[in-house]
Amino acid sequence: MGALLWIPFLYATDAAAQVDPWEFEVYPYATESRGTMELETDNAVIANGHSQGGEGTAAGTFRSQGMWYNQYELTYGLTDRIEAGAYLLMAQPAGHGYWYAGSEYRLRGRLFDPGVLPLDLGWYAELEWHHTRQFDDADLELELRPIIEKDIGRFSLIANPIFEKVLKGVGVHEGFEFGYSAGAYYRWNRYLSPGIEFYGGTGLIDDSDPLSAQQHYIFPVIWGQLPHGIEYNIGPGFGLTRGSDHVIMKFNIELERFIGALFGPSSESGWFF
Amino acid sequence: MSRISTPFIIAATLLLATVSVLGTGYTAQQDGEVAAIRFSGHHFTPQTLTVPAGRPLAIKVVNASNETIEFESFKLNREVAMTPGETIRVRLPALSPGSYDFYDDFHQDVPEGVIVAK
Repeated sequence: MGALLWIPFLYATDAAAQVDPWEFEVYPYATESRGTMELETDNAVIANGHSQGGEGTAAGTFRSQGMWYNQYELTYGLTDRIEAGAYLLMAQPAGHGYWYAGSEYRLRGRLFDPGVLPLDLGWYAELEWHHTRQFDDADLELELRPIIEKDIGRFSLIANPIFEKVLKGVGVHEGFEFGYSAGAYYRWNRYLSPGIEFYGGTGLIDDSDPLSAQQHYIFPVIWGQLPHGIEYNIGPGFGLTRGSDHVIMKFNIELERFIGALFGPSSESGWFF
Repeated sequence: MSRISTPFIIAATLLLATVSVLGTGYTAQQDGEVAAIRFSGHHFTPQTLTVPAGRPLAIKVVNASNETIEFESFKLNREVAMTPGETIRVRLPALSPGSYDFYDDFHQDVPEGVIVAK
């Protein structure tokens, strides 16, 4: 699994590599419980970034230095194995006010029940609509992620290879870009546990960026649950290449509530719904 | 070999998924042992469930109350919402000897239970 993520670095040429700075989040195998609504806000502040637009996490004209990426995500558990989500992307470039940057809509699911397969597998399909070209000049993008998770004792290892394709706007004639998010977590304490996360992008699959222009980040994080259904994940991120921003602070917090199920329990013998 | 191709990545991902699916039978054969937890009267019974360590098992959880609960175990990485009257089966891998929490994440006042593997 790890080897799969690292192979593209060995074959780099040039094109545009990106990570999604609104979403420094690794998606686990588990989906939102059926009938449960979750409101989440993901935040990333570029503490030490680049001074020109189009560099580091900034895909548009604003520079990444001092940028606050602020995302709101509403997720609902449709069945025991499928959830639906909608995102609102906001941003505050340093000295330029608070902007609406775009919206995203996704479905995510898990296959079978946990522990049935040697690796727990899930899927993720998302449409990203970028409203503001100052942040991204691709109008509409499709993002697909297989989700792969393995629990070993109190460790959870998760990988999300990311395949992204521009459907409208700049880059529509290009192929899929490759990126990844991955994490290793230790379940030490329900309220406070450590983890380490990795995010990155290599550019187009068939025409990758030079390694120095790619973005790769490592985030040591703490995460856990708080009373009243609140969960958090916070930590600093460090860029590993020249193309990366140097230091990022991320802070994700979520609140979940049961609001009522649309569908009955999923069949134990089922694998998709 | 100056580039990695799209078909290679897709083939590698599909291969990983196929290997996992083919392993289904192997794992499923090992979870025959079933213990049970019941939720009623705003608490779990038993509060302490002792199970054998070192063997995969399944726990049947019955929500016999008239409220929706979320059966959750942080240490075991399991989380399932259960409507009134619903019964689920939680499949667990072979556990190391030790204590593993479980609770109703929708109701903070429900006493936490513990699964003891030994």
